[in-house]
Amino acid sequence: MAAEVLVFNLLSGIAIVAAGAMIMMRNPVHSAIALVITFVNVAAIFVMLRAEFLAAVQIIVYTGAILVLFLFVLMLVNPDDLPEFHGARPLQQVFGFGLGIVLLAEIAAAILTRTVVAEPGPWTEEGMAQAGGNIQAIGQVLYSGYVLPVQATALILLMATIGALFLGRPDEDEEPSPSRRTVATISLAHTRGSDEPEIAALRAANVKHEAGDRDIIMARDADEFTSTPAEEEMKERSE
Amino acid sequence: MNELMPEHFMFLSAALFIIGMVGVLTRRNVLVIFMCVELMLTAVNVSFIGFAWEFNQLTGQIFALFIIAIAAAEAVIGLGIIMALTRQRDTVDINEVRELRQ
Repeated sequence: MAAEVLVFNLLSGIAIVAAGAMIMMRNPVHSAIALVITFVNVAAIFVMLRAEFLAAVQIIVYTGAILVLFLFVLMLVNPDDLPEFHGARPLQQVFGFGLGIVLLAEIAAAILTRTVVAEPGPWTEEGMAQAGGNIQAIGQVLYSGYVLPVQATALILLMATIGALFLGRPDEDEEPSPSRRTVATISLAHTRGSDEPEIAALRAANVKHEAGDRDIIMARDADEFTSTPAEEEMKERSE
Repeated sequence: MNELMPEHFMFLSAALFIIGMVGVLTRRNVLVIFMCVELMLTAVNVSFIGFAWEFNQLTGQIFALFIIAIAAAEAVIGLGIIMALTRQRDTVDINEVRELRQ
């Protein structure tokens, strides 16, 4: 059975190298591609470990859906905003790698000294063949012992959908739609030949525009109704 | 080791998980950090499926299936948050996001 070990080592080696490349790449798109390579190799290892259904699910859900979603979001992000050429502060990097090595040593010690005792179940290769295959076996176990978790998962997926809709909704302070705009004529409230505003009198008279019945908004001076939001926004951002 | 041992996939799982953890700790791009979280979830799946293989059980595979479903929901929510973040702050740098710190 040496060939099996060889294939496993090859697959896991590629998976680990690709995972390492994922956290090293500067361009997030390259990171996503490295992650695809890792996931495909992990799916192949699932096949080796008698989990054919989960290998298919891994490829469909992870590499098919989630990674496409990642790349989609990546395309929406302005490339100029991407940080890190390269990584975080050096102290943070040294700390992260050091912690990783320490944790790997700890887990290696735990794995090499482990004494796990468990009752072997009935699902050997023969048992699965008797049930009709991996998918049938999973179906039998899933829908006899785990019906409530399946329904809870369905609820979680529904919640995620609602949450995504909520998070993706357009901003509240968007420009009002054109139908909500009122049409009016802005007029300086000066009678011809005078400098004094006579707003009260003119408003009381409820003057209408000559051309029709549209309202006339009386202004004290020319700038009263011309705000300049773009300029103010620029000032706010630069502060 | 001439035969496929449980230690093989346990080391693979540990390596993938720790690579994901190092990525979360050292990267600054929110999207890459999110990819690292997905990698960590997959590493746990490798463990579950490996133990299911070792003990001839299917419980591990069932759990891995649930983890994949939860990971999909988590990806949707997380990417929605990243979208909202970029719309509001125009950045994906984790160091720029400090509203909760101040």
